[in-house]
Amino acid sequence: MAWSFPRLSRRAFLKTTAVGTAGLSLLRPTALLGTGQSPAEPELEEYSYSICNFCSSLCNIRVTTRGKGANKRIIKLDGNPNSTLNRGKICSRGQSGLRQTYDTDRIKTPLIRVEGSKRGEHAFRAATWEEAWEYIAKKSAAAQIQPWEWTMVGGWTSCIFYMNWAVPFAMANGIPNIIASPMQHCVATGHLGTDAVTGNFNIHDEVLPDYDNARYILLVLNNASIGAVSTCRMVRFATAKKNGARVVALDSRLSETASKADEWINIRPGTDLDFLLAMMGVMLAEGLYDEQFLRQHTNMPFLAYRDEAGQWRLATDAQGRPRVVEEGSSKVRTVPAFANHNLKDINGASFYPALFAPAGLQIDGREVVTVMQAQMEEIKHCTPEWAERTTGVPAATIRRIAREFGTNRPAIVDPGWHGARYGNIMMLRRVQAMIQGLTGGIDRKGGWIMSGEFHHKAAHMFQAMAEGREPGPPFAAVAGMPFAKVVISALSDGANFAHGKPGWAWAYSQQQREAGRDWVMLPVLADVGLKESVEGKLKYKGEPYLTRAFIINAANPVRHYYPDTRWKEVLSHPNVELVIAIDVLPSDTAAYADVILPNSTYLERDEPLIYGNGVNHDLALTTRYAAIEPLYDTEEVTDILLRLSEIIGGSADPFLQWVEKLTGLPAAPIKERYLQLRSQKFRSPFAAACREIHFDLIARRLNTTVEEVDRVLRTKGLYPEESRDHILEHMAMPRVLPLPTGSGRLEFYSSLFDELRKGGATGPNFHVLATHIPAQCRADADMGAPLADDEFYFTYGKTPTVSYASTNSNNPVLAAINQFKGGVYTGVWIHPDRAQRLGIRTGDAISLTNTHTGQHTTGHAYVTRLIHRDALFIHSSFGAENAALSRSHGMGTATSKLVPYRVEPVVGGFRSQEFTIRVAKIG
Amino acid sequence: MTRYAMVIDLNTCVGCNACMAACAMENQTPVWKNKWRTYVHDKEIGTAEDLHRRFFPRLCNHCSNPPCLTVCPTGATYQLDNGIVLVDDERCMGCRACAMACPYDARYEVTYADVKTATEFYGEPKRRHPSMDKCSFCAHRVEKGLKPACVETCVGSARMFGDLHDPDDPVAKLVASGIAQPLLPHLGTKPNVYYIGDLKRRG
Amino acid sequence: MEPIMSYATQDVWTWWIAVYLFLGGLGAATLTVTFLTDMYLKQHKCLVMWGAVSGVVMLGAGSAMLFMHLLHHAAVIHILNPLVLFYKPDAWIAWGTQFIIWMMWWGVLYALPYIVESPFYQRLPLVRHLIRWPFVLKIAALCERYHKAIGWLATINGIGTAVYTGLLLQSFPAVALWHNPGVPLLFTVSAFSTAMAYLLLVLHVIVNRPEDHDVRVFYERLDLMLIAGELVILFSFYHYMQSGSEALYRSAELLWTDMGWLVGFIGFGLLVPFALELHGVLKGWSSRLPIVTASVLVLVGGYLLRHYFLYAGVYARPW
Repeated sequence: MAWSFPRLSRRAFLKTTAVGTAGLSLLRPTALLGTGQSPAEPELEEYSYSICNFCSSLCNIRVTTRGKGANKRIIKLDGNPNSTLNRGKICSRGQSGLRQTYDTDRIKTPLIRVEGSKRGEHAFRAATWEEAWEYIAKKSAAAQIQPWEWTMVGGWTSCIFYMNWAVPFAMANGIPNIIASPMQHCVATGHLGTDAVTGNFNIHDEVLPDYDNARYILLVLNNASIGAVSTCRMVRFATAKKNGARVVALDSRLSETASKADEWINIRPGTDLDFLLAMMGVMLAEGLYDEQFLRQHTNMPFLAYRDEAGQWRLATDAQGRPRVVEEGSSKVRTVPAFANHNLKDINGASFYPALFAPAGLQIDGREVVTVMQAQMEEIKHCTPEWAERTTGVPAATIRRIAREFGTNRPAIVDPGWHGARYGNIMMLRRVQAMIQGLTGGIDRKGGWIMSGEFHHKAAHMFQAMAEGREPGPPFAAVAGMPFAKVVISALSDGANFAHGKPGWAWAYSQQQREAGRDWVMLPVLADVGLKESVEGKLKYKGEPYLTRAFIINAANPVRHYYPDTRWKEVLSHPNVELVIAIDVLPSDTAAYADVILPNSTYLERDEPLIYGNGVNHDLALTTRYAAIEPLYDTEEVTDILLRLSEIIGGSADPFLQWVEKLTGLPAAPIKERYLQLRSQKFRSPFAAACREIHFDLIARRLNTTVEEVDRVLRTKGLYPEESRDHILEHMAMPRVLPLPTGSGRLEFYSSLFDELRKGGATGPNFHVLATHIPAQCRADADMGAPLADDEFYFTYGKTPTVSYASTNSNNPVLAAINQFKGGVYTGVWIHPDRAQRLGIRTGDAISLTNTHTGQHTTGHAYVTRLIHRDALFIHSSFGAENAALSRSHGMGTATSKLVPYRVEPVVGGFRSQEFTIRVAKIG
Repeated sequence: MTRYAMVIDLNTCVGCNACMAACAMENQTPVWKNKWRTYVHDKEIGTAEDLHRRFFPRLCNHCSNPPCLTVCPTGATYQLDNGIVLVDDERCMGCRACAMACPYDARYEVTYADVKTATEFYGEPKRRHPSMDKCSFCAHRVEKGLKPACVETCVGSARMFGDLHDPDDPVAKLVASGIAQPLLPHLGTKPNVYYIGDLKRRG
Repeated sequence: MEPIMSYATQDVWTWWIAVYLFLGGLGAATLTVTFLTDMYLKQHKCLVMWGAVSGVVMLGAGSAMLFMHLLHHAAVIHILNPLVLFYKPDAWIAWGTQFIIWMMWWGVLYALPYIVESPFYQRLPLVRHLIRWPFVLKIAALCERYHKAIGWLATINGIGTAVYTGLLLQSFPAVALWHNPGVPLLFTVSAFSTAMAYLLLVLHVIVNRPEDHDVRVFYERLDLMLIAGELVILFSFYHYMQSGSEALYRSAELLWTDMGWLVGFIGFGLLVPFALELHGVLKGWSSRLPIVTASVLVLVGGYLLRHYFLYAGVYARPW
């Protein structure tokens, strides 16, 4: 036997489940207890209030600083204790946020790409702002970049905070091209599905469910908004848990959220829709719904027929008003086209609408049934037994969940965060909203409750509509589907611009459509056609439609669009003359810029506006107060856009006018104040002017003084306006007010998709009712067919520590947590049964190949039972390549190296999980 | 008299790590070397058919009979009347006997290099000497009537903090009810961190 | 709560503490044994000087090992101050440090009267000047006068130090292997056994005078008994570790399957020297080689004991 001398530097870990024991404790002189006090700290601390910047939950935060003047330093962030949104709590990203401001990797001055270097090499020289402006002016003049040849790219913060500036900037300068990162991934794909049912399209259209009061919670394909983490949701979810709510999670991995469920249903990836359709079928067939709600406030009683092509259509009257049959008779009534209920017909006569039409009922010679019956017929084949094959979940389980959900109220099916993933995700989210509707749990305690801000906007909009006047500037006063239409028409209609060109995305859709190829119906703020436009393959009205310049603000498309090579090629293309990036940290995308303009962080900034309180059910106002002076030579986006307007458009005036037109901020006083502040050498004078004027506007609306608004916001971080209970009392939608859908009711028959269908869209994605859309992970096999030994469905998700592929993976605290977590965060999850067959063990280097496209990357295996046997999982937080991100580059595997360019036809949503991966051990 | 205690409800700990970040910022821990006063394990429990993922937060248990205090030769480790066990970094010589004695693995090293890095990283360092550091139950916050930073920010309200000697305190009630149990009580350390279990009989 | 147990050894105190514990026990016991020999068995100035000097060096070297590994060296002042025994009487390192410091003083003082008249030290550079100082000579005289008292103070401190090395480990309640009264006993016996071995080495190799035969035989007999005692304690440990607590059982699995422990320590560190010394006591050896070998093996074994004891301490982790 070998004489093995043990090394003491190694920890020996031994596994068992028994309990250890030991003997007596030592005697200790009791006199030694209770001596001393904790060391006292001098009270030099001050509080200020702000809004977190690391996800769209927009948690209210309190910033603690120490010291005075230039020595003032942020030492701690906390949840704002006055906030009813996040209830004084914030997640790890929120807590670590101050380290972004103090990140040594920050962009500290404007940077100009070194002459002779290539984009992507990240070779920059420090420059002054004047040099940077001059560079941009010279480049854009020399290259004669036309307005439509510009494209703006915005990350999610641009969407929430800078929409008010970015869109007016685009309109004023004739730029019809904006790509906004949350759209194809999230807002357009996921939320539009939900919103098609509820009409809740808004900047914060994510619904915050009232978990606090729920008894049953069903989570579907969603870890991001609970466990990974949206604080405002998690605090409520935790309350539900403590109150004893039953939680069921559908997920192909035991995610953080699923780990808190009473029941984890390990469903095959991509088949959630199959599960939910079967569930909805059971609920409809067994009467497990809120019958009164469906009769009164949804379009379930509307009569519909199948046309010659087999398409469901509403049996409306000549004015397009829906018709409903009275319960217990064959009497057909016509109801108003837009209303919150079906209890009165157009003549004001009360009646009781039927959910089921009598057999053989005919209108205008066509056999009609209710939407309810049509829906049941449409998904008749989607039984639990049918779903068992693809989902891998026993039919009995599906049936049981349907019954549990249908009989326990209040019940919540979580609306989900993050769309994309599959072509069927929009339908999945739609069906979730429908299932929620079946319980009547919309704008009701223990159900989905829309935000206070949304209620107010909608209420004012409805009032204006009733009075026959315009509601007001669209960004401030239009809510729901009408707002969606504003957004869509702004860039899709060439008539809005002097040059007559719509966005290239719309031109490209038209070109594709005319050529008889796959096309996207609503490429809203999407990247569909960008590559073609850059490469000169796009024509509009016979003329080439080129893209030659970019303004990228707080976005990192190289990492969070797909695939990374596409964006690297686009930004490096010789046709592209100028790339401007505005950012805080050197992202992988910033490396492809010609000029990088450094932005202040959210803690260094007085926000240019007062905002609503995000998804909070209560109505309140909030804003940011700068906790410290900017550390570096940075600038605000508002002021950058103003200056760029002067450079590109020759004048800032149209920009100011568009700001007024879209947001309601008056151009004249803002300009006056801006010029004053600028002459006083005020830092970021435009942002400051906007803020002052907006404070004034808000004070007037609230019938108080600017000083009072400032005092309350400064000392509390929030200006409360109205409580949730009060709002629900007089604004609950659809029980009191209509929903901002096409019909004012909760829509099972979708007026949105009906309209798109009229526009020529075909296929199941545009179905007016819930229908089955199979995930197509493989060309030749459905989701029920077995996989090859080395083949896996690809899945990805978010870590609680990183906002998707953002640069906060470089935050020193978050990077340390990621390191602490190790393989569970940075590894490739693979089930031991599958790994064993491939000879793969935790830590092994493995190669990952997309079986469709051959895209290839590598990773390190994390063998775990937490993942479905058929699936492979990676966190989307990693894979940064820019070495200027000193802590995170080279860590983990990037999703954008595996996900192909494949989009669904409604909004160009990314089918980012709809393929399989071949896995092999390296070496 | 006050006896501070923490109850951690594993049923609502979602493994978000907010406590780690909050503690690191509040107490200036050496994140650059991945050392924490509190952290959260991620554990797989059970069989493939009955699998459970447990997030298990860890910290100093502020024992009423703390073995780390007993073995500390310099008196750097001391206990307040309210039960909080603290380390005086000026007095601590870093012999690590406390780390050896602690059944809860609560101690970690702060070296000269860490003190230097902390000065650069945090600006105004709270500790100026190397020591065997550990969780302080945020005694400086508790003194002002605040909760420890990790409790304050816990998004699942899994961490609760209170006074065991106050019969009306919810934490005291949870402990008295027996649902919250300490770790390794047989060692006689009389720990003041309690856990509410998350494994239920299913099916 | 349903704790999910795991078991782990530590990497906080490693070889350097094993060295500290080994040299501390060895040094202290060496001083004690030489002084007791000098006081009660046979006055032996040479042995005292060798024992005292090497004991002090061992204690110093062991303490240096601890000191070098401190995180915050300046704070060591707190345990060098004797008052530490009043404010930290519960901490064994406080006692241990004081034992070691005073042990070193008493060790030097006991040997001082011999040193000042030793021709070797009178020729030694630096020392020769030092021991000619009237002040030193006065102290030497004083020590001469209270020689027994100093001897006993040293003895008490020496035993204290040896016991302390075990009590230190015993004070860690988390590890069942350490947290029991067998540990101080084992370490004390081992300390004295290694001291015997060391002194046998001195008497065989360095101060190899024929007239010391009786001392050597006495030491051999004592060492034999100590080794026998150590084997009995280890035998008890073996049985103690077979059940009682899972952590202890895990320690047993680590220790009693390890060839370093079984063959290295028990075999070559105890059984072989035991056999060699038993033969010496019963039949005698014609050469000094077997006893020298036995002594070296006992010394190596002494280190191995502490090394493996630190290594095999298992913590039960309820997570």
